[in-house]
Amino acid sequence: MTRKMIKDHPILNFEHEKKKVVKFTFDGREMEGVEGEPIAAALHSNGVQIYRITPKQERTRGFFCAIGKCSSCFMVVNGVPNVRTCVTPLEAGMKVETQTGMGILKPEE
Amino acid sequence: MKRTDILVVGGGPAGLSAAIEAASLGADVVLMDSDLKLGGQLIKQTHKFFGSRTEFAGTRGFEIADILFDEVEKYKQEGKLEVFSNTTVTGYYKEDGIVSYTIGEETYDLMKPQKIVMATGAQEKRIAFYNNDLPGVYGAGAVQTLMNVYGIPPGKKVLMIGAGNIGLIVSYQLMQAGVKVAGIVEAMPKIGGYWVHAAKVRRLGVPIYLQHTITEALGEKVIEGATIQEIDNSFNLVGEPMKIDCDTICMAIGLTPTCELLWSAGCEMKFVPQLCGYVARRDAMMRTSHPDIWVAGDAAGIEEASAAMVEGRIAGLAAAASLKPEGCQMLRERSADYLKRLEHLRAGDTGAKIRSGLEQVCCECWG
Amino acid sequence: MDSKKVDVAVIGGGVHGCSTAYHLAQKGFKTALFERDYITSGSSGRSAAGLRYQFGTEVNILLAQYNMKCLKTLGRDLNYPGDLEYDPAGYLWIAYSESQLDQLEKNVKLQNELGTTGSKVLNVKEIQEVAPHLNTEGMLGASFNQEDGHINPHTLCFAYADAAKELGVEIYKKTSVTGIITKNGCVAGIHTDKGDWEADAVVCCAGAWSVEAGRWLDLDIPITPERHQIMITEPVERMKHPMTLCLDDGSYWKQCPNGTFMLGVGKDEVKDTSFYASWDYLDAATERILPKMPVLSGIRVVRQWTGPYANTPDLQAIVGPTPVEGFYIDCGWSGHGLQFAPSVGRIMAEFVNGEKPFIDVSMFRYSRFEEGELFFEPACI
Repeated sequence: MTRKMIKDHPILNFEHEKKKVVKFTFDGREMEGVEGEPIAAALHSNGVQIYRITPKQERTRGFFCAIGKCSSCFMVVNGVPNVRTCVTPLEAGMKVETQTGMGILKPEE
Repeated sequence: MKRTDILVVGGGPAGLSAAIEAASLGADVVLMDSDLKLGGQLIKQTHKFFGSRTEFAGTRGFEIADILFDEVEKYKQEGKLEVFSNTTVTGYYKEDGIVSYTIGEETYDLMKPQKIVMATGAQEKRIAFYNNDLPGVYGAGAVQTLMNVYGIPPGKKVLMIGAGNIGLIVSYQLMQAGVKVAGIVEAMPKIGGYWVHAAKVRRLGVPIYLQHTITEALGEKVIEGATIQEIDNSFNLVGEPMKIDCDTICMAIGLTPTCELLWSAGCEMKFVPQLCGYVARRDAMMRTSHPDIWVAGDAAGIEEASAAMVEGRIAGLAAAASLKPEGCQMLRERSADYLKRLEHLRAGDTGAKIRSGLEQVCCECWG
Repeated sequence: MDSKKVDVAVIGGGVHGCSTAYHLAQKGFKTALFERDYITSGSSGRSAAGLRYQFGTEVNILLAQYNMKCLKTLGRDLNYPGDLEYDPAGYLWIAYSESQLDQLEKNVKLQNELGTTGSKVLNVKEIQEVAPHLNTEGMLGASFNQEDGHINPHTLCFAYADAAKELGVEIYKKTSVTGIITKNGCVAGIHTDKGDWEADAVVCCAGAWSVEAGRWLDLDIPITPERHQIMITEPVERMKHPMTLCLDDGSYWKQCPNGTFMLGVGKDEVKDTSFYASWDYLDAATERILPKMPVLSGIRVVRQWTGPYANTPDLQAIVGPTPVEGFYIDCGWSGHGLQFAPSVGRIMAEFVNGEKPFIDVSMFRYSRFEEGELFFEPACI
């Protein structure tokens, strides 16, 4: 799907066309996002709002504070759980997954 | 171990101003900010600031940030200022004044600054309503980050909670971004923000529901709507709940200062309702009870960017002055103008709340 | 300020104070407990909260049997609505030398003889079975009891405090005891910053701060506080891992019921009750523990805190009466005292009541230091 972006803003010029777009996967689905911008921003523009399911009550969680302080946006990124997607920059080829439960420590390689 | 004259924690308007001021006086400065981009909340503001020329009247928030970034760049080139973004100061160890920090997720290190300016800003408050944890409920700062920094629409139709300055401004910004605003809900009987901001949203036909509160967010996995209801003067629900069609609920009900590092450092703290939470006691030069730590900006009390920038200047000046033998003289001379500017910003009716808050935590000097 | 009267005044709102107050009230004593800050604000609330059957001396083994029996169902028995979180993840004491292994074998043998049959010695392969994430390099063997584990130190205290209040105990928080009143060499009451109380007996459960209380009566209570630190990580899914203690360097760690890992090391520390954490502790803990459990290398640290050990010359508690009639002490638990709240709270009440304690604790007597009969317990570090 095409990413949702704001164009024709009366004051701000986002210069979307100048940004470096990279591919990543979310739960196995291929998506595109801007390299270096937060993973959460890429997910949001791809219409993904649910980032994790809480361990006990299985509630949905997503973006909330945007400054890395609330733990709502945790996801498993490249196998590492509890990654703060709102302040973690997107890299090409990242494997982003919905986190269910508390997170399983990635074993040492 | 990395050492420096002054560490500034936080790269928003107060922190940037403190770093620039200190560097301009010859101090070696390190600035650390935990976000990916510097500028704090300033880079998200599209409206024009008002006040006097020195307070950048007529200039948009994000443009003021650019002005500060240019000065930062100048001192960086001169080698007086080192800037770290995506860097969180994780601890202040009181026994030896050592600071720990992490860069991203991979790097952890320690440093020893001689002096510190804490400009750690604030965080959003929340209110309780059924389903307030569903995705689609965002803080105002988060909404601004998506739409003004990354150019991504936060949703299609937003219900705004809070008619203070932030609620009004963000509502207007949403509409500039092409997002509909279903309405603004405010618990008090009158609008908390400046009239000029309220007028803009009213002209665009956004209903403002005074003496109303949100009772429920609707939806199973994400927000699909909300119910609001009228409240009386004692905040009891009256009348019938009203359903509002929206896919995003933006909470702009207030901020509270971020003070963990100040607590760790053993600074004297006081709960001041007018300043929106616990804040550090400080003297006129923004120094806390800890002789090596200053505070500035929203971390010192919720106010706004103009005051944050002047407080940042004062704190940066005072911290740099404390490292010089001729510091006291310099401090007296240069601070007079800054103090006058703050007085001007806080004058009149609009400044009454801040003034009564500051009275409770300001002391003449630490003796 | 009014003067008030009680039968017994308990000093200290940690787990021993709350348990003692509860047991005293059960025996019908009109009791008041005085805590200078809030319940659990001292060592109790900062504890690593380990429970174990495993000890190396008869008295500690017998006390531990009673402790464990009580702690498993205490919440229910005291009608406490919250969760005490008794979590039998097991407790592994690991030997890195022949002499350490030798001592562990002796400890287990004595425990088995006295009826603690769940304690056993494990070889390296068996260690790997109970703790598959451990790097067993250098390990020679371990002692282990699957029923040992964790309890929530806060809810444990609150359960005793609430039960005590139900029985009529008055708990005064934010109230500092400032002196002890005597008449003809016997306890007659206490001074506090909120007034005086008359009392026929005073039980001092003030942990590392008991030294001060002793001074009011010219008693030398030989406690030296020592700061210890703990770090807590982010929560992760429950892993198969018992509480682990390594005898080579005193490092220990466990996964708490909420998924967080708690890490501690023995290291050179300041000898005071200050609550400030140090940055070099984080380095020490990670340096020692990560090689032993490499899977933790990516886990994030959330916070660290400190708590004082109340160390005596032989690292064993001081329990019982003192030369001052009416003044009893229960302190000096040297970092392993939380779990003894059930047995020793009961024993303190028995002492005050003039009864013979249900388990003979003369090894812990106050006079042993003067008599030169220090008490060596091999299963404490």
